Amino acid sequence: MTHDVIKHLVEDYVTGELTEDARVPVAEHIAGCELCSAEVESIKEILARASALPTSIDPPADAWSHIRQTIEHDAIVLKRAPSAGIWWRPFTVAAAVLVVAAVSSSATYLYVMRDRGQVAASPNAGAMRSPGETPASLAAFTVEENNYLRTASILQELLDSQQGQLAPETIAQLKASLRTIDEAILEARNALARDPANRVLIEMLSASYRQKVDLLRRSTEMTRGS
Amino acid sequence: MTRVALVADIARTPEGPDAIKRAQAGDVNAFEQLYREHSGRTYALCLRLVGGDANDATELLQDVFIRAWRKLDTFRGDSAFSSWLHRLTVNTLLENARTDSRRTARVLPMDDTSRLPGAARASGIELKMDMEKAIASLPRGARLAFVLHDVEGYQHQEIAAQLNVSVGTVKAQLHRARRLLRERLEK
Repeated sequence: MTHDVIKHLVEDYVTGELTEDARVPVAEHIAGCELCSAEVESIKEILARASALPTSIDPPADAWSHIRQTIEHDAIVLKRAPSAGIWWRPFTVAAAVLVVAAVSSSATYLYVMRDRGQVAASPNAGAMRSPGETPASLAAFTVEENNYLRTASILQELLDSQQGQLAPETIAQLKASLRTIDEAILEARNALARDPANRVLIEMLSASYRQKVDLLRRSTEMTRGS
Repeated sequence: MTRVALVADIARTPEGPDAIKRAQAGDVNAFEQLYREHSGRTYALCLRLVGGDANDATELLQDVFIRAWRKLDTFRGDSAFSSWLHRLTVNTLLENARTDSRRTARVLPMDDTSRLPGAARASGIELKMDMEKAIASLPRGARLAFVLHDVEGYQHQEIAAQLNVSVGTVKAQLHRARRLLRERLEK
């Protein structure tokens, strides 16, 4: 083998990745080639310096407090969930999916119709919220929205990691339902961007988030109860 | 330190397996004990993977341990807890990168790393630098391959599977990393 060929094999030679058949001629060449010998030493030095790096570096002292706060928040979210009860029964899941889909669609329909001037602001839209659960302003809602998103994210991750415990048809129903809610959220969010002062929209969006968190919470309970 | 050494180190920690079981049962204090045992090594890995930025590394470390807590049920003890955490660290880094790229609608292929933060810092790098700084200055793909292979001791195949690239790509990135390191350290 020539120098031009062997210089491309020097790294594999140093890291022991050459076959015995290839290693011998490469070693013979390196022994008589100043350039390749220098290359070998240079690579060995890099590998030695990599091995000598500290294996442990202390993280900032306050890093744990954020982790602890978050995982304790997880625990609170799960404790708030109702006990497994009837929720893990497939027919109940199917019924829940239908209810969620219907409510989400109705909420969107009400807003779209109102937006088009076909109906007046309906008292039914307000009926979706429980007293005291919907913030009075967009600023307050933004804070609440962040909490919803955070909670939904935690629960979604939990559900993803445990969904192997659910029947495929149950998972399909849940996914379909979550898609419906997400579409309603997206539609309301876009509408709110155009009309930030619209309280009905804030109520609708808030209700959709509550539905999503509630469904995710019940779903994670199903995986724990099954 | 190679993973073999890491496993041996954990085996020498008598409270390790017990702390894992208690943490799996929901004991936050036991999980804190696991954090105290493993955060140093995980943070070192985070620092090198993100390119030396302490804030990014701390954020990644926190994401990793929060995920570890949420996924603790899936740890079956088939591998050492430290290996499981290492995989979770790399997966979290990649997942965060995907989320960030979706957020900014900017996706870079593994080979095109010139616009990533780690690579950007390389332009202002001092001529004489230590090994940590030199690693931090590498383009992202080369840095991941080098840290996982030459620092952490993973095999090409394992790295390829984790990064979802071919073994050939890992080898090419590794070669590139070593070449760049030699150039930068020998200056």
